[in-house]
Amino acid sequence: MQIGPISLTRKRWEPFAFASPSLALIALVILFPLAYSFWLSFRNFDLSVGPDSEFVGGANYVEALIRDSRFINSIWNTAIIIGPSLVLELLVGLGLALLLSRVGRGRPIITALLAIPAMVSPVMAAMAWRMMFGVKYGALNNLGRQLGVIDVYFDWFSSPFISIVAIVLVEVWHNTAFMMLVLLAGLQSIPQELYDAGKADGAEGWRSFWYITLPLLKFTMVVGLMIRLIDLTKLFGLIFVLTFGGPGGATETVAFSTYLAGFNDFRMSYAAALSYVIVGGVLVLTLVFMWIQRIREMRAA
Amino acid sequence: MAIALERPRVGARSARILRVRRWVGLVLTWATLIAALIFFLGPFFWILTTSVKANEDYFAYPPVWVPADASLKHYAALFTRSSGARYFTNSLMISTLSMLAALLVSLPTAYSIARWRFGGSFLSLVLLVLSMLAALLVSLPTAYSIARWRFGGSFLSLVLLVLRMLPGIALIIPLYIMYKLLGLTNSYVGLVLVYTVLYVPFAVWLLVGFLRDFPVEIEEAALIDGCSRLRALVSVVVPIIAPGLAVVALFSFIATWNEFLFAIVLTGIETKTMMVLVTSFTSGGTDMFYGEASASVVLGVLPAFIVAFMLQRFLVKGLALGGTKG
Repeated sequence: MQIGPISLTRKRWEPFAFASPSLALIALVILFPLAYSFWLSFRNFDLSVGPDSEFVGGANYVEALIRDSRFINSIWNTAIIIGPSLVLELLVGLGLALLLSRVGRGRPIITALLAIPAMVSPVMAAMAWRMMFGVKYGALNNLGRQLGVIDVYFDWFSSPFISIVAIVLVEVWHNTAFMMLVLLAGLQSIPQELYDAGKADGAEGWRSFWYITLPLLKFTMVVGLMIRLIDLTKLFGLIFVLTFGGPGGATETVAFSTYLAGFNDFRMSYAAALSYVIVGGVLVLTLVFMWIQRIREMRAA
Repeated sequence: MAIALERPRVGARSARILRVRRWVGLVLTWATLIAALIFFLGPFFWILTTSVKANEDYFAYPPVWVPADASLKHYAALFTRSSGARYFTNSLMISTLSMLAALLVSLPTAYSIARWRFGGSFLSLVLLVLSMLAALLVSLPTAYSIARWRFGGSFLSLVLLVLRMLPGIALIIPLYIMYKLLGLTNSYVGLVLVYTVLYVPFAVWLLVGFLRDFPVEIEEAALIDGCSRLRALVSVVVPIIAPGLAVVALFSFIATWNEFLFAIVLTGIETKTMMVLVTSFTSGGTDMFYGEASASVVLGVLPAFIVAFMLQRFLVKGLALGGTKG
């Protein structure tokens, strides 16, 4: 509470007046559409049929989770992409952060250079990598042939498995920098005295990493992983450009198949239901993640 | 005790070992970092050289890594043949307008949050209600925990994180229907409106930080001299926190520039952005038409390079809150 002339001249409506434009806009452009979409998800609104729709109860949700094998597959695909991506991003990001924390001069510039991929749009990242993956004229195959590693041109999108490997590679390229930056900030917040104290107790090298760095970095890692997990459930642009869900729907993610339901099949109500299934899934996923973390903490305590 | 006594005897040898070890460590560190730089920057190098190659260089083996005679003719072709000029202008216009609108809308909100604390005020109630609504739809418990772990647990952070978790696909479906009804698809206004609102929470959050660092005394002096709040904000606070505003502006610019899902659904032939244009080059299969495609990618990633260097100190904040993904 402010005391003095300012608090005397303060008008009660001022704080609200200042905040109202953005609150009104959020209500109008985010909250209202979300509520509308929730209402829509219990109807059978289909743009390819017509403007009329009727109440169908939970039929859309039942179809999404039980009968629609395409969507159920896309859940599985998303999981297969998320798992390795998270692990690799964490490991590579941690490695780079540790290396960077040892570098004295030149760190800002190297950090900025390494961070560039994370600032790029997923669509642009995917386009750049499509040119890397190109069968006959791509950089990877030509480099491989020049170095004598491969003798036949390799098709990076020929099978579901290889496509997923390629997507994970691009995803790791794209977003490891985020992990690296977060972990670097975490590393720099660990006080040097702890390492000095550890040294006095005989903890150096791996031991100081294992007993000092890792425990203190755990929160940062959890937060970083959680943010990446949430973002990966939205994976769309990368898929759109790299594979468009192919081959044979093997790389369709949940966001992508919802997009197809809405803007390819024009089944708006169904797509709305799918998007709420995704929202629910993200919720469950993060809760499970937190729950595991909680148990491990309790065990450690 | 024993250690202290032994130290002088092994001193010289262990010092040498230590020196060698440090040297090897340094070499390994730099070697790995350089390898990482090649991996993370390699694709940029490839698209840049590709975009200035001559047409016959694409089919050459061994591949042309650095073209001997670089030319900008693919850029010229992109701008004329593929109407790249129009889409580049669209991207610039939409990003600039959204950036300005987001600043304009979020500055007063940030100001009111920074100056009048939340405790028990009407505003906090409104924010709470709004965040609860969004949270019910998305996920209160998760966001709340994240907020408590890392972001100090304020209402604002909560609202932000809830919005951060919200998948764009959940918003685009109702928005598309609403926009169709209102005739807002294929218009600058429609896209700028969505981008502004999506970006406001992030902008508010960053601005609150800058405003809290601002010395209240200067502002109070203006108020005592008879300035109104709005006047004090515009002519006293804004000039001083201008660098902070620039940070927010650049982040919001690149977020809008990079956004794809809303752009592809809500734009039509006249309002396509660069992100939408670039996807049109993918139709040629795995080996597509390289020249114009790579030129458009180079233009598309340009803002990222600028921002990565200019906003280095703020990258973690920006990325953590989705400041670059829109």
